[in-house]
Amino acid sequence: MITLLRFLIFVIPISLISFLYFFINDNDYYPGADFKVSDMPLFELNSLYEKSIVTNYDLEGSYLVNVWASWCITCRIEHGFLVTLNSENVPIIGLNYKDDRNDAIEWLDKYKDPYRLIIHDYSGSLALDMGVTGAPETFLVKNGKIIAHFSGEINKRVWSDVFAPVIKKEKVVWNDQT
Amino acid sequence: MIKHSFLTLLFFSSFIMSDSLYNFENAVDEKRFYSLIKEIRCPKCTSGSLASSNAPVSQDIKNKIIELIKEGKSDKEIKEYIASRFGSSVLYNPGFNKDTYILWFAPFLILLIALSIYLFRRKA
Repeated sequence: MITLLRFLIFVIPISLISFLYFFINDNDYYPGADFKVSDMPLFELNSLYEKSIVTNYDLEGSYLVNVWASWCITCRIEHGFLVTLNSENVPIIGLNYKDDRNDAIEWLDKYKDPYRLIIHDYSGSLALDMGVTGAPETFLVKNGKIIAHFSGEINKRVWSDVFAPVIKKEKVVWNDQT
Repeated sequence: MIKHSFLTLLFFSSFIMSDSLYNFENAVDEKRFYSLIKEIRCPKCTSGSLASSNAPVSQDIKNKIIELIKEGKSDKEIKEYIASRFGSSVLYNPGFNKDTYILWFAPFLILLIALSIYLFRRKA
């Protein structure tokens, strides 16, 4: 009996820990990243510069959606990386989040515009539909499906840890014109 | 006299301009709204319900909940709408599914193990 108990004292905690490790542990976990696949929500909003209507039909193929605002300090920090991405022919759609149009345009004039197209979401309605909790956030969309979502500043490290594996796995090909 | 009427006017002035923050068509909807915002976590906060939060995203979600209530969506549909966008962690009451069964069964399981050890020891 005593030997059984002695045995159990080791076996129970070890089995519990290994159970938790194998069944509850989330191997894909990366702080801020979310790989849940969902549809890009339907929207109809104005573009930032021309104030012309932009809908889902204006967005084709694979692209990034970057949520930013001129009041967002972290967006300023990640901006350099977005400019680099744009120069590497990655199409980035800007989602201007709860921002004043003039402030946003002034901000882009000052710091360079890396976006193919900018959606002006003053009320945050599209952002809410996409599950944005703040700026900056970046989504990877392939053929109308969101395949990766990162909350926070993107940089070289986040790009290679979060986005590069998905791009490779899902065989994302950037289109030249959006 | 003038002084008195001025003071009376001043006293009631805050009530004249007061109005409820959210407008509902009926009392049931209002009750549903206030219970929902207590059951849903603010996604931007460490731990706080929508009811306790004034973060911009919380205000947006609250307005969305009102919109969904007016569209005639059920509480379950509204919770699903928010959980599908902000993750199931926004729901304070975790539903019973494949991710949460351990959470629900673990206490009983541990109790069972403890009980069996106790019975084993008594026999010995």
